[in-house]
This record gives sequence, structure tokens and C-alpha cells, in this order.
Amino acid sequence: MDSYQEHYLIEATELISNLENALLVLEKTPDDKSQVEEVFRIMHTLKGGAGMFGFQKIEELTHYLENIYDLIRDNKLATTAQILDVTLSTVDHLTALLYDAECKEEINKENHARIKNEIDIIVKAIGITEATAERTHSQKEVVSNASALYHIVFKPNKEIFANGTNPLFIVEDLLALGDGRAFARTTRIPPFDKINPEKCFVYWDLLIFTGTPVEEIKDVFIFIEDQCEIAVNKVCAFNIFENNQIDLKLFENPKTFNSYLVEIASRAPKKKTEDHINKKSELSGNTGVVASTDDDLDMGNPKERIKNISSIRVASDKLDDLMNLVSELVTTQAGLSLYSEQNPDRRLEVFSENIEKLTRQLRDTAFSMTLIPINHLFQRFKRLVRDVSLQLNKEIDLVIKGGETELDKTIIEALADPLMHILRNSLDHGLEHEDERISAGKNKTGTVTISAYYSGANVHIQIKDDGKGIDQEKIRAKAIEKGLIGKHDKLNKAEILDLIFAPGLSTAAQITDVSGRGVGMDVVRKNVTNLRGEILVDSEVGKGSVVEIILPLTLSIIDGLLVQLEHTKYVIPLEVVEKCHELNAGELQENINQLVTLDGKQVPFLDLREAFDADKNTAPELTQIIVVHKNHKRVGICVDTIIGEYQAVLKPVGKYYRNQEFISGATILGDGTIALVLDTNKIIEQSIGQKIVAL
Amino acid sequence: MNVFEQKEISAAQSFLSFRLGKEIFAVEVSKVNEILEVPKITKIPKSPEYMTGVINLRGTVLPLVDTKIKFGMKPVEFTVDTCIVVLEIKVDDEKIQVGALVDSVLEVMEIDEAQLQPSPSMDAKYNLDFIEGMLELDNKFIMLLKIDMIFSINDIIDLKETHEGSSPKKNKSIKNPNNRGKK
Repeated sequence: MDSYQEHYLIEATELISNLENALLVLEKTPDDKSQVEEVFRIMHTLKGGAGMFGFQKIEELTHYLENIYDLIRDNKLATTAQILDVTLSTVDHLTALLYDAECKEEINKENHARIKNEIDIIVKAIGITEATAERTHSQKEVVSNASALYHIVFKPNKEIFANGTNPLFIVEDLLALGDGRAFARTTRIPPFDKINPEKCFVYWDLLIFTGTPVEEIKDVFIFIEDQCEIAVNKVCAFNIFENNQIDLKLFENPKTFNSYLVEIASRAPKKKTEDHINKKSELSGNTGVVASTDDDLDMGNPKERIKNISSIRVASDKLDDLMNLVSELVTTQAGLSLYSEQNPDRRLEVFSENIEKLTRQLRDTAFSMTLIPINHLFQRFKRLVRDVSLQLNKEIDLVIKGGETELDKTIIEALADPLMHILRNSLDHGLEHEDERISAGKNKTGTVTISAYYSGANVHIQIKDDGKGIDQEKIRAKAIEKGLIGKHDKLNKAEILDLIFAPGLSTAAQITDVSGRGVGMDVVRKNVTNLRGEILVDSEVGKGSVVEIILPLTLSIIDGLLVQLEHTKYVIPLEVVEKCHELNAGELQENINQLVTLDGKQVPFLDLREAFDADKNTAPELTQIIVVHKNHKRVGICVDTIIGEYQAVLKPVGKYYRNQEFISGATILGDGTIALVLDTNKIIEQSIGQKIVAL
Repeated sequence: MNVFEQKEISAAQSFLSFRLGKEIFAVEVSKVNEILEVPKITKIPKSPEYMTGVINLRGTVLPLVDTKIKFGMKPVEFTVDTCIVVLEIKVDDEKIQVGALVDSVLEVMEIDEAQLQPSPSMDAKYNLDFIEGMLELDNKFIMLLKIDMIFSINDIIDLKETHEGSSPKKNKSIKNPNNRGKK
């Protein structure tokens, strides 16, 4: 596959997903004309690319759909559920066609025939005549509805020959669009002795009377866009080549060309419109026509265009490379800082400090580039909810909150499956059928809310439904049946609910297509844990359930507090650090209930010396206690000394230390030694867990 | 691929020999990435005794294993001869690097297939799961180690132990969290 096609694939995948979203919005607001425009615009772009890169089947399907939406656009047809259904299934089929352009696979062949048939039915029903349905490449013609005379200035760069382009072919292509004349301009040609035969000095003024819309004229230039100056201006709506009163000779002279053109245009002032496609629009001024820098022409709204320009596409492995380089830089910079500290030199210090500042900014910028809003993921669920609600015959409202919350792209990718699974569970088992809901006194439409928000160093994602909730007794019975717990085990609510994450537990009485195969929630938990995240569930019978996923924001680089214990240095993520206190070591040792009073509040603490089996004899007199927090729980962590802030590049400690869960990684310090990064969540969990056991 | 099959392909193989206490061992050179002097080691708390800690190997974190403790001997005492042999091993189809602490590194030797005694059958007290073969050189026996097997087991192993308890099939890889190596 050549690189153009590959490029189209990427673009088309994005377009298809945009199209899907636009259709879902349209389904909610069928009368919104701007949505119809949006759908139409995306289809049109999709079709254009498909035609150019040889995806004929895609071109064909989008073409028919485009016709339908064109009618909707013109108020000749209403948006119906049938149309949207067909469009959505076409969208699915298009994705398949991207990878099977010729429609060779049996299933695709079947789908293709079916969808075409469905479209045909609609087309026939609305009575698009064969003639209009057959029109190709001329969507705009119907819209603008007339041929027009265009003035095209084609001014190749002098170096255009170097790329093997023959500008004459372009001129020929342009003339082939309709009636036209090309006027070669030789004013740029230098005196003969200075002429360079490898350069192009000629440019052209073309007058073409054609029904081809402006953007398709522009398509002629698609491969040489950046090698020439192009201006396309609509002059008037009548054919000067069939008009005897027009003296074509006057066009031959560049000096009289423009004034004559203006004169002709003024003969038909009513129909005069101005369209202009240009990159460097210096020539447009000469024609006396007001230039609009509208690339998209009449499609899309201004906001949309600004959005298009403000982002560029970058291959994700380039971003990964960037992140790696930044990591290396951070480590190197730490070495420099240390060296400058040890070798006092005013100028070195200034440099080192500046580099530290720049590195930090670079790190943050690079870091933010790998973040994408979680909406990317949530948008997909809209479709899922729509399909499932039809399949299960439940009315479901999906509410999305905090879609702008950003997460690392790798985390988002890894989250897709677990979230999908949870959502399916909510839709299938959580929400009741309409009659059940009504008899329970609830709104007949079930609501599922997905929300995401930041909390300290974490991102929380909640999936909440107002369904029937999880029956603890059922779970308990099932768990006993499966031998997961004993008959007389006493569990609190949280512990019982937590059992849904145990392997092999599915309480669905009926196994449905949507969910309930008995594998799932345990896999979900595993996936989340692999991302160093946590998953919790809460539920109330009759009111609904909520599943919460808590993920660390942290990736490869974190801001940390560097501390020392015995001979080893540790990094505590700065986001969880609340406050640092100093205490006499003796105070802690005599403490029986493992609580210490700080700022008038009692805080449980964990002496890392004790926890890490450090030598008691080396204990310092003063102990530093660092208060960290997590989910409103506060724990003090005791260490020997606090060294200071540190930017830590997280490195895995490897499989060998898999069991040392309280270590989330390691980082290399400026002097080349290694500091261990503490997983405070695990420490808090463990120390609180121990306390319960101890009491 | 089985190591024995490999041997059929190449008649002569290179081995790196090193000393642990009084005994001499060897590993295939192809599994050795490099040999390092001992830098500052960062100990990881609560880890098994034979897991000495981690070091900075040009920006990556390399776990260290005290080979002597791993083989049930006394811990390595750090001298000028103490070295880290950086090995590339395969655990669950994944290549990982591990540093093996040894008392001293001796030499790289070319060994002919013929020289190699495929199994230490004459001395059945060695555990065949970890020993690939024996080699006699200057009246000294050198044990050729199956390092993939040795370093993928998360416990102390006894080379001389032959009873089934230490069979790698039952105790494979780094999966058992309870084996903290407190023997």
C-alpha cells in the first residue's frame, strides 16, 4: 500500500468516527440543520478522498448517502430513524471497506449488498429520479446550480520543473473542465543571456466557463499546491465564449486583461459572487474582487475551521521518542545540578538553574502532548448505548461529564475494554425494563452517567446507573456456592460488593449477548490494576450502582519529594504530600496505638524504619513525618531526613521485584545512584489494613 | 530451543567461567552482556536475601542477584575481585537483564563438544535441572549452568539437591509471593 493510501486510511478512520458522532447528535436533534451540514460535509470529504485513492466502494456508498442528506439539507426530506439507522450501519460497513477495498471478504460482500439495497429503498421511497441519483462529481453543481466563468491565475514557482511537473499538463487539465482559454504570460522571462532553462518563468491567466465547483477546480492543483500560486475567482455567470460582444483579444494583453474582466463582470452584477482559493493571494487584489480566505467555502462554520488549523497530526511513536529524550534530559540535568552544587561557580550555577527551569517546562509540555481528553473514549460509548438500548429494548439516557479530563493516551487505550465491559453490565443487568421501572416509581428512561474528574494525583472515572442495584444477598449466595467464601464468613457491604471482581462470579440469571458470560469483572480489575489503578464498586438496591476507577495521572516522570532512610533514598510523589513535620523519634516508639497528633488532629502513622526492617541503632534523634493523603485518608510516613524536591524519571524495577508492591519504580539520581519511588497508595492501604488486624 | 540441540550446530562453544567460593562455574558467553565492577547498590527493602538490590546500568535499573546466596552458600563478600556478570535471560518468553554477583571472573574458554560431559552422572548429587554439563580442566571440575532456569526461579535453589521439592516444573518462575527466600 502506498503512503498516500495509508494517509487516507488514517484520515478516513477519523472521519468515520466523526461522522458517527455527528449522526448520533443528529439523532437527538433531527431538525438541527447545522448537524445535517456537518454530516454532509464529513461524507463529502470522505467521498472525495475515497475516489482519489481508489476506494470505489466507499465512494459509491457515500455518494448515495450524500444525495439523501443533500435533500434533507434542502428541506425536501425529513431526518427519519430509518435513514439514520441505514447511515449508521453504512458507517460500520465503511470501516470494514477501508481494509477490504474491493469487498472480497464474504461477510463484507453480504453487508455491502444489504446496505446498498437499504439505501436503494430509501432513495426510491423519496423518489430521487435516476438522473439525479446518477450525478457524480458534481454535488456542488446542484448546490450552486449553475456554470460560471472563472478566472484562474496559475503561477508556478520557478523551481517547479525540479519536481518533474509539467505545468502545461495542469493547464490542459484546467481547460478540459469546460470552455476556456489560457493566456500565457511572459513578463517574468528574463533577458535571453540570463535565462535558466531549468526554471519556469511563464505563468498563465485562464478563463474557464464550467459547471465544476471551485473546490474541484482546486483539485487539479492538489499535488502541486505548495509549488505554485493559485487564485480562482468567479467572474460572472454567463459564457463569454458564446457571446459575440466579447473581444477575446483584449485578454491577451496582461495590461488590459484585468480591467476588461472587471468590465465583463459588471455586465451581470446580479449573479456576481466571489470565490477565492488561494495560498498567497497577491493576485486577487489586481482583479478588484474582494478576497475571502475561506478554504472550506460554504461548508462548516468558522469555529470548525479554526479548530482544524490549530492542531497537527503527529505519529505517536514520535511522541514516545520525545518522551524518552525528555526523560534522559531530566536525568542529565539532575547530574548537572549536582555538579554545580559541588563546584561553586556563579556562572555555572546560573546556567544550571536555567537549564533546570527549561527542562521542567519542556517536560511539562512534552508530557501534556501525550495526554488526550477522555472524551475520545466516551464518544465511542454513545454508539454502544444506542445499539444496546435498541437491542435490549430499554430507553437509556447516557450522560457524559468531564469528558475534557485528560489522560495519557496509553492509559486511555488500555481503558477502553474495561470501561466498555462495566458499561455493558450497567446497561444489561443494572437498568431495569420500562415496566419494572414504572412500577418502581422511577422515570421510565434509565440513566447511565459516565463522569471523569481529577482528584489530586489521580483521575477518577465513575460509571453510575439508576437501575436496580446489586443484590448483596445474591452475590453472597453465589460466592458461597462457588466456594469463594465460607457459609459463616462475616463480610461487610464493601467486602461483599467487592466479590463481583472475583473470577467466575456472574449473577445474571440469564446470559445475554450483551454481557454476563461470567468472565469479566475480574479481568476488568486486572486491567485496571495493571495501570496501577484501583476499582471500587458501591450499590444500593433499588437505587442503582456506581463503579469507580481511580487511575494515577503519573506516567514516566513525576514530581517527588526525595527522602532518606538509612542509606537508601526514596521518592514520594509530591501530589500526595500534604505537610511535613519533625518529631522526636522517642515519641513514636512509645506510641502504642500508632496515632500521632499533628496540628490538633490524630493521624495514623507508619514508621518506614520499622516497616523496612532498618537497623534500630542507626535511628536519628529527630524523625521527619510526611503526611500523605489518599481518598480523604491521611497517613504519616516517618523517614530519617527530607532532602528536597526532585523530578523523578520513573524506571521499572523489573519482574524480580514484582512482590515489593510498595515500590512503584526507581529513578536515577544526579550522582548516578538509584532512589526508589514509593507507592504511597499501597503503603496507606497496607498500614491501614494492618491496623484493623492489630485492633 | 533446547541447549543440547544448539550444541549440535556448533562444535566449539565459548564459555565464561567464574568463581563462587571455591567452586568454579561457567555460563555460555552468548548469554553474557557485559561484566561490571560493583557500583553503589541500592537495596530494596523487604526483598529476598539473595536479591542484593538494584544498580544504575547506564540509565536502566538492573536487578542484582547474589549468586552465592541463590545457590545456598554464604553471601558474597565484596573484594576488589567481586564482579557483576550481566546476563540476558529468558523468563516466560521475555528477555530480561539481571546482574549476577560473583566472587571473581576467571576467563573465556573455548570448549569442544567432546570435552563436555553431558551430565554429571558420575556425581549424581547435582541437580540436573540447573546443570547443563560438567567440564574437567586441569583436574578441576567446572559446572556449566543453565542460567535461564536458575534465574527465572524466585527462590534459593540448591544445585546439589535432587529431590523433587525444588523441581522447576512445580516451582517455576517468579510467581510465588510467599517464597521470600528466608531459608
